[in-house]
Amino acid sequence: MEVEGSMNPVVSVKNLSVAYEDKLALEDITFELKEQAFLSIIGPNGSGKTTLLKALLGMVRPVTGIIRILGYEVPSERYEVRKQIGYVPQRERIDPTKPVLVKDVVLMGRIAKKGWSRRLTEKDHDVARRALEMVEMNDFWDEPYAHLSGGQQQRVLIARALATEPKLLLLDEPLSGVDAATQDVILNVLREEADRGVTVIMVTHDLNPLIEVSDYVMLLNRTIIAMGRSRDILNEYLLSRTFMRRVSVIMAGEKIVISGADHHA
Amino acid sequence: MLELLLHSSMLSPLVAVIVASIVSSIVGSFTVLRGLSTLSAAITHSSFAGASIAVICGANPLLGALAMSLGFSGITAYVSQGNERKADVIIGMIFGFSTALAVLFLSIARTYTATAWSFIVGDVLGVSLIDLCTLIIVATVTLCIVALLYDEFKFITFDIEAAEAMGLRTSLYHYLMVALIALFSVVAIKVVGIILAIVLLIAPAAAAYEFSHNLEKMLLLSILIALVSGVTGFILSIFFNVATSALIGIMTSTAYLLSLLASPKRRKCKEFIKFRRRVVKEL
Ligand SMILES: Nc1ncnc2c1ncn2[C@@H]1O[C@H](COP(=O)(O)OP(=O)(O)OP(=O)(O)O)[C@@H](O)[C@H]1O
Ligand SMILES: [Mg+2]
Repeated sequence: MEVEGSMNPVVSVKNLSVAYEDKLALEDITFELKEQAFLSIIGPNGSGKTTLLKALLGMVRPVTGIIRILGYEVPSERYEVRKQIGYVPQRERIDPTKPVLVKDVVLMGRIAKKGWSRRLTEKDHDVARRALEMVEMNDFWDEPYAHLSGGQQQRVLIARALATEPKLLLLDEPLSGVDAATQDVILNVLREEADRGVTVIMVTHDLNPLIEVSDYVMLLNRTIIAMGRSRDILNEYLLSRTFMRRVSVIMAGEKIVISGADHHA
Repeated sequence: MLELLLHSSMLSPLVAVIVASIVSSIVGSFTVLRGLSTLSAAITHSSFAGASIAVICGANPLLGALAMSLGFSGITAYVSQGNERKADVIIGMIFGFSTALAVLFLSIARTYTATAWSFIVGDVLGVSLIDLCTLIIVATVTLCIVALLYDEFKFITFDIEAAEAMGLRTSLYHYLMVALIALFSVVAIKVVGIILAIVLLIAPAAAAYEFSHNLEKMLLLSILIALVSGVTGFILSIFFNVATSALIGIMTSTAYLLSLLASPKRRKCKEFIKFRRRVVKEL
């Protein structure tokens, strides 16, 4: 059993297409993550990044295709899969004026993994506190979520996902609208999680900060333009095709700098 | 006047007002935060149709209201999940359809217009012992559901998308929450009537929202506001011998207006604007 489990790919997607009404948002997506890894999915606005995450979660019905995650079939076994997943939604989707405290938000990650309404225990509080510490927000435990800055709110949402103790972390644009220092905190935490054996799939349209941290990069624009190690696929031809505009790749010694992709596509 | 207030026949109405205030503020808090006010107005109207039909068939009107509003709440919960624009239209349709049903049945049986009027504006002074028992049972069920599923309700109220993504059965909780609105409308129809039910549901919670940064505080404050304005409205209506539901409606709406004026959330915003003006001037 165990051996077989470890030979199953963590994520396997075959010929996935998703449509809204009569428009295809994703077309013929096929990829596999054989072992635990950090995957960044990059594409311009409207390229189907959020839709791909939703499909992995079984929250949108595919037109065609087979999805298997951690050995489960999606959407038929979606509830089993979701119990193993920590999810960070696009921050703008949340109304920040709702009356909740930071601790309430982080503890939601614990509630999600409980069965029928069992109470939160002392252990749940410990896990939540540790998750908040990982994103360096422990001083804000009792603060109202509404009083935080955008970057701080983003870190709390990541702490909530970490508090689920997930096998798979899905993050929708966790770097948008946060400053460089916060980006570093977030990427460090995600890298640490990946090194501990958590599979991290992160969606973004700004790729410079994550060239170094991710194991694999997927270029997405309705279909997969390319997927592989960042050094192999981050070239001007593929990036320009993804972003549908001229993108330059500058080699600065060891570092790759990409310009032209992060403006509005 | 005072004797009238202290008379034992005032006890049942007073208890009914208190029960309705507590239920309305708890259910109302989730309704306000999740933006379900229109949906709840449609549901209270369907409970009116249920009550009217029950009267004509010789059944208990509160049970009729319960059956009908639960049925309609199922439909509205179902449609309000997917496409928001479509949901808005369907909720409007349910609004009209249930009112049409009520009017139709009342026009068939002309003799019941007095009873019908009592559903529209409430008749708390005419609360019977059976009514009171029904109210208390409905309130107990509501409180038990909220107490049992409080954490889950909090999660879907804040962020339903992540709740679903991380494994919560969000549609089940959504249905339950809408069913609670149906239960509330049964409580409200006797106490304040269908027209004012929505005020009792929304105003205390919306007022409490202005002063709260966490859900627990919002719930407690909203109960307090509902109780104070409900009971004051009740007492004043006896004093001046006018419609109770009207004064309860006026008191709760006044509480909401006052809360807007005194709101620290808005004041903070004003201070910020003043501060920015000053900074701009200094530059
Ligand atoms: N609920 C919906 N109904 C109809 N069309 C939708 C819906 N959600 C997304 N779409 C369409 O599907 C396409 C992909 O959307 P998606 O949200 O997945 O893009 P994205 O890559 O996440 O974009 P962004 O960077 O702006 O978040 C877009 O063209 C969008 O208009
Ligand atoms: Mg998106």
